[in-house]
Amino acid sequence: MRVWETSHLLDTLPTGKNASEHVYDFADSQANLEKIQLHFKQLKTRLVLGLVLGFLLPNAFLSAYFHYQFAHTLKNNAKLNLEAVAESQKNSIEIYLQERIVNLNNLFHSKEFTLQPSSEVMKSYLHNLKRFDEAFVDIGFLDANGLEIGYAGPFSTFPDKSYNKETWYSGLISENKKYVVGDLSLGSGKSPRFTIATRQEFDGRIYIMKATLDPDKLYVFLRSINNGKSIDSMIINRQGQYQVVDLNMSPFQETSSFVPPYSSPSGVEEITGDNESMLVAYSWLTETPWALLTKQPVSVAQTGMYLSRLILTIGLIVISLIVSTVVYYTINKLVKNARQMAEKGQQLQEMLAHASKLASIGELAAGVAHEINNPLAIIMATSGVIRDMLNPEFELDHSSEAINTELTIIDNAATRAKGITKKLQDMGKSSSSCSIPCDINALLDDVLSRLKKNEFKSKTIEIVTQFSPLLPSIMAEAYPLRQVFGNIFINASDAISEQGTITVTTETFEGMVSVTINDTGKGIPPEDLKRIFNPFFTTKGGGKGTGLGLSIAASIVKYCSGTIKVNSILGVGSSFTVLLPYQ
Amino acid sequence: MDTLRVLIVDDEDDFRETIVKRLKVRKVLAEGASSGIEALKVLETKDYDVIVLDVKMPKMDGIETLRHIKKLKPEIEVIMLTGHASVEFGIKGMQLGAFDYVMKPAPLNELLDTIIQAYNKKRGLPH
Repeated sequence: MRVWETSHLLDTLPTGKNASEHVYDFADSQANLEKIQLHFKQLKTRLVLGLVLGFLLPNAFLSAYFHYQFAHTLKNNAKLNLEAVAESQKNSIEIYLQERIVNLNNLFHSKEFTLQPSSEVMKSYLHNLKRFDEAFVDIGFLDANGLEIGYAGPFSTFPDKSYNKETWYSGLISENKKYVVGDLSLGSGKSPRFTIATRQEFDGRIYIMKATLDPDKLYVFLRSINNGKSIDSMIINRQGQYQVVDLNMSPFQETSSFVPPYSSPSGVEEITGDNESMLVAYSWLTETPWALLTKQPVSVAQTGMYLSRLILTIGLIVISLIVSTVVYYTINKLVKNARQMAEKGQQLQEMLAHASKLASIGELAAGVAHEINNPLAIIMATSGVIRDMLNPEFELDHSSEAINTELTIIDNAATRAKGITKKLQDMGKSSSSCSIPCDINALLDDVLSRLKKNEFKSKTIEIVTQFSPLLPSIMAEAYPLRQVFGNIFINASDAISEQGTITVTTETFEGMVSVTINDTGKGIPPEDLKRIFNPFFTTKGGGKGTGLGLSIAASIVKYCSGTIKVNSILGVGSSFTVLLPYQ
Repeated sequence: MDTLRVLIVDDEDDFRETIVKRLKVRKVLAEGASSGIEALKVLETKDYDVIVLDVKMPKMDGIETLRHIKKLKPEIEVIMLTGHASVEFGIKGMQLGAFDYVMKPAPLNELLDTIIQAYNKKRGLPH
């Protein structure tokens, strides 16, 4: 029989919210599988998103913060280092200059010293100085007015040459200094030199010993104390003019773009140039208005950091990649396993449903046998009674009336058996076509009016109808639908003991015609709720119910692509909803 | 032979009444009860030698009723009435202390023979 091929006993997945709800639905296993696949796809997306948000993003933030702090600390270290170099070089330069000033000053106290030195004496002075340091270029002996009394050196001189206009001279005389160091000048030669001068008093008169020095020698000295560090050193005056600078640069043509504030004895700055940023440290000399500058490109200062950062970045990326890959594959594997298990579970459910279907066929056979056996037993027993009547031994009344009474019992039992086979045939017939427009409101009215005349007569049942006036017709045959609603109404009436209400509501719902039948009867126990659609399941005794009514109703509704849903609260009532598509 | 007292418990009125009627003409003191609950109620005031119990009944089925009977009056012998498809209930009944089971629809003689065997057992006679 076709009806049983798609068993409606598939209580595979309970769809009701509570135990007292049962939806008689026709589970589509493919749709369920797709649902499972979608669920696990979403789960995987969520887990991967969790990996990115929970691991990769914080990792990236931490790395960025670490890089910033690292760069900052390293730059500060580079600045401090550069400033220390500037400070140390300044000290060396000061000692260098002081030594040369002392050398010059010592000439006042030499054996050859005289207030009127001859050119030989001057040459001897210069010789002594050069023996100490090749940087000395020439030497001059001046009186208090700045007039040159004696000179020795490579340049030509002239009588009455005066230095009283020179800045260093005014510094030495008017500011009453013991010695001075003058800025770089061309003087009488073509190559620039700087001047050192010292003074002594003899008999109340001032005399000055001055010498010029080659700045390139001083630069070479600076380089030698740099110990090969990648740091450029130079000396500038207050105006920013270079005093000692790289041999390739011309000190007179260029001034430093950076002039440190004279108010601060030392410091360090970052200067952004056209091509690259530079770190510049400075330290002002104590007695001379010169500043020692040390310069280093930021890129050079941070070379170590770039390498560390590169290693760190690569390391982090590699670790992140490894962790992400491992986690991703683990997630993938876990989700895959879980999905497979869920799919297997679904298959198991289907197998169970199939087993339940087979069991229901057995149940049907048992039900048929029992239901047919009962009237058969009556027929056999009653025919035995007639046989007893005809047996003179028992001396029973065997009048034709008495025999007729027994024959009526046999007829009734036979009719009952026929009724069962008829209903079984109807179940088979329910798969006939659903192709005639059918007005559900009119059909319900008709079924109810028939029932009022018969089944509902013995009780006080109030029928309340709430029909939607705009209910569309559905394509179905009226007879099977009468059976559907008739069976539900009879059950509702049976559930009501003496008096109660049956409310019938029709409406449209998502392309379906919805018929809801509520009764105020005794309700269905939760354990029975799932079985009420099973054939031959009945709680009505004494041959009153065959247990086929709801089973037939469910088959018909299923054939019309509809669903039956039942809700019940014990002691309050039951609600059956039949949904039939009208589109 | 003492009068054999039998209670037929079946929800099928026509069947029960017919059996009662046929047993009565065979000098058996037969009475009927339409449900397990009714049977237990009757047992409170009356005694029977044998009870014939239908397995499939609404509310309280034959097995449940058997349990109560065996608790209430264990000396009464019980015969289960089963359908072809519910033989296992007959066997279950025997495990719970029923004397035997008879399959419906059964000829009256078969039922009566079983009733007499049960009665003999109750009286300690060979059966």
